Amino acid sequence: MINNPVIFYSASVLIILFAFIALFARNVINSLLAAIVVFFCGALFFYVLGSEYNAIIQAAIYGFAVPVIIGVSIMFVGTKKDNIKTSYLTLLCAGIFILAFVYLMLMSLAITPDTFNMTELVQVNAFDTLRAFASGIFINYVWAFELISLLLTIVIAGIGMIGGKSWK
Amino acid sequence: MYHYLFIGLIVFLIGLLGSVLVKHVIKILISLEIMLLGVNINFVTFASFCDNVKFDGYIMALFYVGLGAVELAVALYIFYLMYQKNRSSEL
Repeated sequence: MINNPVIFYSASVLIILFAFIALFARNVINSLLAAIVVFFCGALFFYVLGSEYNAIIQAAIYGFAVPVIIGVSIMFVGTKKDNIKTSYLTLLCAGIFILAFVYLMLMSLAITPDTFNMTELVQVNAFDTLRAFASGIFINYVWAFELISLLLTIVIAGIGMIGGKSWK
Repeated sequence: MYHYLFIGLIVFLIGLLGSVLVKHVIKILISLEIMLLGVNINFVTFASFCDNVKFDGYIMALFYVGLGAVELAVALYIFYLMYQKNRSSEL
């Protein structure tokens, strides 16, 4: 676990800023690019919190695979027009969110002047994490793991059927 | 710990806001994924700070990533069918 407030606050600002850009950009391609930044910032959070495995999964699936799928679907539908009718409401909500964020950060700095309470941290090492993953997936939550595997298999089979049908 | 939980909450709320306000279907899907990211940040935070034995939050975050991929594939196919029918990417 990395306890650096600079990384935390800069990643927080980036994830909030690019989340707003991803949702309210006029072009869908810009939204997708901003969403990639958001997903990588999420992977950075996981890495900072000591879960390297989740960080790699997040970066691989949401940083690379999901944007490719969404990009292909954008290519299908085109990006000719994007009507955003909520510009004033969007700006108002964004302003409220940013003000609430700044207020809470300042309050947290006032309450805990050393920013992070180091005594509450749990000592984590990579071997324990990996062993916990293994026992969690293959012993404690094996049925949930099999169910998600089944769901993914159904999705892959469905994609194959749809692709074969559209190919004919 | 509360810093990370608050960031997870903010990311979740931004996703919720986007899924309510935005009309474009792909942007709604992106906002759903952002909501899922906020939930995952909370899971990993609780596992890192409160559970140093089993790390259940890490496993849950892993499952949610898999479920998110499934949900995205199904939602994109529904969107594709909708686009074929209506010729519009707006809800």
